[in-house]
Amino acid sequence: MRLLLFIFLFFGVPQVHAEAGAMDSTAKKMEVRLDMTKVELRKIDKNKLSTYSKEADFIYDDAPAPELSLWDRFWKWFWDMINQILRNKVSGGAIKYFVIVALIALVVFIVLKIAGADLKIFSRKSKEVEVPYSESDDNIHEINFNEEIEKAISSSNYRLAVRLLYLRALKNLSDKDLIHWLPEKTNQTYISEINDPDKKREFSRLTHQFEYVWYGEFFIDKENFNTIKDTFERFNLHSS
Amino acid sequence: MEPEIFNERTDLTELNQAVDQIRQSLSSIIIGQKETIDFLIAALLADGHILLEGVPGVAKTLSAKLVAKSIDASFSRIQFTPDLMPSDVLGTSVFDPRSSSFEYRKGPIFGHIILVDEINRAPAKTQSALFEVMEERQITVDGHTYPMDEPFMVLATQNPIEQEGTYRLPEAQLDRFLFKIEVKYPTLEEEIIILQNQHQQKLEVEINAVKAVLSIDKIKKCRAIIKALHVEPKLIEYAARITHETRNNKSLYLGASPRASLAMINSAKAIAAMQGRDFVTPEDIIKVAAPVLAHRIMLTPDKEMEGLTPADVVAQIIQKLEIPR
Repeated sequence: MRLLLFIFLFFGVPQVHAEAGAMDSTAKKMEVRLDMTKVELRKIDKNKLSTYSKEADFIYDDAPAPELSLWDRFWKWFWDMINQILRNKVSGGAIKYFVIVALIALVVFIVLKIAGADLKIFSRKSKEVEVPYSESDDNIHEINFNEEIEKAISSSNYRLAVRLLYLRALKNLSDKDLIHWLPEKTNQTYISEINDPDKKREFSRLTHQFEYVWYGEFFIDKENFNTIKDTFERFNLHSS
Repeated sequence: MEPEIFNERTDLTELNQAVDQIRQSLSSIIIGQKETIDFLIAALLADGHILLEGVPGVAKTLSAKLVAKSIDASFSRIQFTPDLMPSDVLGTSVFDPRSSSFEYRKGPIFGHIILVDEINRAPAKTQSALFEVMEERQITVDGHTYPMDEPFMVLATQNPIEQEGTYRLPEAQLDRFLFKIEVKYPTLEEEIIILQNQHQQKLEVEINAVKAVLSIDKIKKCRAIIKALHVEPKLIEYAARITHETRNNKSLYLGASPRASLAMINSAKAIAAMQGRDFVTPEDIIKVAAPVLAHRIMLTPDKEMEGLTPADVVAQIIQKLEIPR
């Protein structure tokens, strides 16, 4: 390496020197041309300068700060408070970690959403369909059956009376845990829930009567109503 | 005891006899499939069309043919193929050189009972030929309207959409079917009976022995009775609420139309009459809800991928609605 450096310096430097000497000889032959035109100095009109200096656009002093409105003052106060909280070591640290956790949760949520995952699995059954549930007009556990049936009979509304008798029979069965009452269950479902064959048969008969009167709107007079009422009362007595 | 209290308002004897006869005639040949047979009869009585869906070989076409055979009415069969044209179904105007005019030649759609076999193997263009005739019971060709004779019933069969060479039927056409019934595989016991009958060559003899048990007049009479059956106003509201829920359900992007509500009430009446009642109960509506609604609603893609079926959604809607009583 040293040998190479020595060779370069020994042969290279005299070469550069020789090239510089050649350039000097060429310069002597060239004619140097000079720009001899007269330079004309332009002067600024002092009056104009004075006029410009008085114009507001050319006054660069700091403009006074505009007065803050009530709304702006509120936000200034708000952000000052936030800055103060963030600068505080205890509360600022907690908020920092909260923001980090929230950001991670947001990222996870977006990823899961993009992947098409059913996020309802965290709260309920995934296949559940949302249907607004409307409250029953008649909650069988809140009706004063004796009073309402009497009212219906006294107004000769036997159709309504049969309905109330049936609802009372359902309440009795529910109270004795023979059926599990839910307004969305059908009468046939209640029949199938009764295990005792005799009670099942009896209740099927009552259901049949109720359906003819309520859904079929079959006319019943007082005499027929009393027959039906006796059947219902016998059933309630046997199932108690 | 009930007959003494509740005097008969509507004479359903003739109707029930007719139903029993068809049921007996079909049940002797089609092993199992009791529900399918009942819905076939209900559709006939409710003046509706029926779509039978099932994998090949589950007696869809046989069921439809037997219904047609049980009725003393004209029957025609159209095999839907991918190259079938609307004119092959409706008919076409042919130039008669003698009279120098066009003469309309009626297509196979003209009849009382029409079996459209493998309906989803024809493209949408041909399907749309059925729109007018299925809904309005008439055909308009070259400016002339040809009304269909009563009864007019389309019994269509199709393979599930997943099967090779099938198209999805247009929503407008699906809406025109009263019921879509999924014909399931028979149970092991039922399949053994099917094999035994086939082995003893009973099946062919029985099919040939099926006789028309229902005349056109009788069908008309039964339909008139069913139309007049009683439906309590709260039950009409109940049917409407079921349909309405399909329009607000998050699992569905296409809900059912008011035609579905009408179909539900009409078919519930037929089911009630078949059970000897002249009034509808909530059970009747629930029984027909899935066959009436499932083909008229469409799941959102995510629910479809979850494996949910339209019938599941209908069942869930019913489970959440209060029974009017």
